[in-house]
Amino acid sequence: MIQQASPEGRSIDQVLIDLTADMTEDAKFGFRRLVVSSSEVSVLDQSGASVLRVPIADIETARNEPLVSGGRLLLRMKSGEDIVATAYSLTHSDLFSEAARGVEQLAKGQEFSINLKREKTRCAKCGRLLPEKDGVCPACLNRGKTFMRVAVFLAPYKAKVWALIGISVVATGMNLVPPQLQKLIVDGLTASSMDVRALVTLVLIWFSVAAVAIGLQVVSNRLMTFLGSSIAADLRAATFQTVQRLQVAYFDKKPVGSIASRITQDTDRIWMFLVDGMPFLVTNGLVLIGVLFFLFQLDAVLAAAIMAPIPVMALISVAFWKNLSNMFHKVSQKWARIYMHINEAVSGVRVVKAFVREDHEYDRFQTRNMDCLRAAVAADQRWYSILGAMSLCVSFGMLINWGLGGYFVMINRLTLGEFIMANSYLLMVYGPLMWFAQINNWFSRAMASAERIFEMMDMPRDAGGGKGDKHTIVGEVQFEAVRFGYDKSNPVLKGVSFTAKPGEMIGLVGHSGAGKSTTINLVARFYEPDAGRILIDGRDYKELELQDYRSQIGIVLQEPFLFHGTIAENIAYGKPDASFEEVMAAAKAANAHDFVVSKTDGYDTIVGERGAKLSGGERQRISIARAILHDPRILILDEATSSVDVETEKQIQEAIARLTKGRTTFAIAHRLSTLRNADRLIVLERGAVSEIGTHEELMTSKGVFYKLVETQSKINEIVGVGVIG
Amino acid sequence: MRLFYQPEGRLRLETDDRCHLQVRPMWASPVTQPGKYLSLLDGKDKEVLMLPEGLAGLDEDNRKILEEELHRRYLTSQVLEIEHAHTEFGSTYWTVDTERGRREFVTQSLQENAQWHGPTHLMLIDVDGNRFEIRDTRALGEDSRRLLARIV
Repeated sequence: MIQQASPEGRSIDQVLIDLTADMTEDAKFGFRRLVVSSSEVSVLDQSGASVLRVPIADIETARNEPLVSGGRLLLRMKSGEDIVATAYSLTHSDLFSEAARGVEQLAKGQEFSINLKREKTRCAKCGRLLPEKDGVCPACLNRGKTFMRVAVFLAPYKAKVWALIGISVVATGMNLVPPQLQKLIVDGLTASSMDVRALVTLVLIWFSVAAVAIGLQVVSNRLMTFLGSSIAADLRAATFQTVQRLQVAYFDKKPVGSIASRITQDTDRIWMFLVDGMPFLVTNGLVLIGVLFFLFQLDAVLAAAIMAPIPVMALISVAFWKNLSNMFHKVSQKWARIYMHINEAVSGVRVVKAFVREDHEYDRFQTRNMDCLRAAVAADQRWYSILGAMSLCVSFGMLINWGLGGYFVMINRLTLGEFIMANSYLLMVYGPLMWFAQINNWFSRAMASAERIFEMMDMPRDAGGGKGDKHTIVGEVQFEAVRFGYDKSNPVLKGVSFTAKPGEMIGLVGHSGAGKSTTINLVARFYEPDAGRILIDGRDYKELELQDYRSQIGIVLQEPFLFHGTIAENIAYGKPDASFEEVMAAAKAANAHDFVVSKTDGYDTIVGERGAKLSGGERQRISIARAILHDPRILILDEATSSVDVETEKQIQEAIARLTKGRTTFAIAHRLSTLRNADRLIVLERGAVSEIGTHEELMTSKGVFYKLVETQSKINEIVGVGVIG
Repeated sequence: MRLFYQPEGRLRLETDDRCHLQVRPMWASPVTQPGKYLSLLDGKDKEVLMLPEGLAGLDEDNRKILEEELHRRYLTSQVLEIEHAHTEFGSTYWTVDTERGRREFVTQSLQENAQWHGPTHLMLIDVDGNRFEIRDTRALGEDSRRLLARIV
């Protein structure tokens, strides 16, 4: 993008930003190009002619104005007027809001530093649009390559895999023997050249071949199941581990359900393919080759004639299968909607009843139910039609054999035994052939699932162990012009600076969306600043080892998250080797001990999923105990707004006071008591620090904080009156 | 009421007793009440006026300005015909003709991103969040309807 850098700095016509937009001034899809140099913003059309030129010197600010299904780059001029540089769809809005930032930096004479990462929107190979920018193209995904990656998971089971292949080949070979025996028997019988002994011998051979073949089949299926399940389990484990190590940012973009489904559903599909699909493919493929070999050896003309309907079957598969699988996909979508509705209606049953909407809910359910019914019937009906056509082809194959084969027997081209043998072989291949088209689909799906898993495994992870220095934190935390946004186009923190002294308690105050939680997320290093630095005891925390750093940070969340397990386990979550005495001491310090021991099972009480069996106040105190036992150097408190009774509130306050003692603490404070206890308060407004000071200082200066407190106490009055009334 | 631009590019609303800066129009219920309930918001996202009848009953100048503003702010496309649509591995690729011109896009997980607002009213949301609306699926051509039926 940067054309040339002259030695004395920026040359006049150096292009700093060069972007394409996809909408014209009259809101049609089209082409526009935004070119920004250090002196001018210009917009060009397809032919390169200039649509708009604005000198940077005349610009006051620039921003991306979000619109419905798109956005526009708005320039506010020093004269006060607004100029729309260009409009674009949402596909481009991230880049343009970054560009807007760049234009503003130029206009204000600040350092020009933006991150215009160009993202691929189309696949380089086939030109298809990519479902995710810079993601994998599902169409060009090399299924063979993906399969090889799955195959890597076979490595620990090498011996078993080879054994399996060997057994399969032998078993298939043996399955091909009985028709040959049939031939011998029938021919012997028709020619009356066989005695009882020969017959018994042949039957015995048949029996032993069949017995061994079935035995081998059982062994190979057992092996196959073992291998398939083991690989799936390994994949699940690998995926789960990956998920644990992914950066927090990943979880913002993906709903929990979709991540969970990757671990369960996608590995399940691979498992199904490995356990059901692969054996089917391998055995029947081998059988097909064997049968073709014997049939053509027997009589090429007859073989060709019997196989004639196979291309027709293939054609039917290709023509109708895709459509059919779409229909089945639709059915499963409708099922998902029904599940969703049942879930909603059951978990919200109190609301439904309170508003007397039972009938309405039933109607809604019935609409979806009928929808699902229609889709399922349509899909199944079509399925049976196709199945019918397929069966007809199978019958044709058999009839051709009876007709032509029968005729060949008549003219003595074949013996009766050979005819019977051909018939047996025919049955062996035609049945499975009906399902072959499905295999491709099966395989595709399994590979798509595998790709989704691998895609996740290839995502950026938390900087793992070893990288960076270990550092025992004293407790000074310094923000230095920190900028950060979850989505680059929309910065939440816009240059925040402050210093917290070791052991100091900082209260973060501000309206919702002001950046309080974001500040905390950065301290916990769930995210790292886009620009600026965060210094711990004077060192940029990016130099410190992540795991070591986080192990010295404690978090007490607004909605404390407890894991399914006992109270003791939950308290010792951050320090699993803690002795029972330590657990009790922590619980006492958190004012939790008394209510814990009063329960039937005491510390062994199971808290239920997410701690559902405890009250809100109890959950909070347990999470405080957990933080106390963890003994962090830096503490993060996201204070609950939820109302608890006065006594519990007092106990929680005491516990928090004990917890924060001697630790650098950042608290998102709502309670007045916390605000008073804090050494200093940082008031955030729209991503910037607007005031810093003690509670008294801020109250006397009558600034933003004073107003906040005023409105809050007014609200409390109103709410209080409302409750009493 | 009177709407006019001052300074250039910034819409101003003058009512009998007050003047509001940086005004923008937003439909209160664009899907179920199209053309009705137009809200005028000021620069601080506070509603300053609600027009329950939408643009109807406004004088010529005001209507023209609002029409123009709405046209620029609502970039949702109306699908006229579906040229092509097929699903592969959970992604659906579309090529559509809209009133803004031809457009290709990709959708994923259609349970959420193909929203039915009525038996024949469909909203498609692509992977970037762009919206493509089909107000009445019956108004589409035969081929488009067949493609649509196959996918959603």
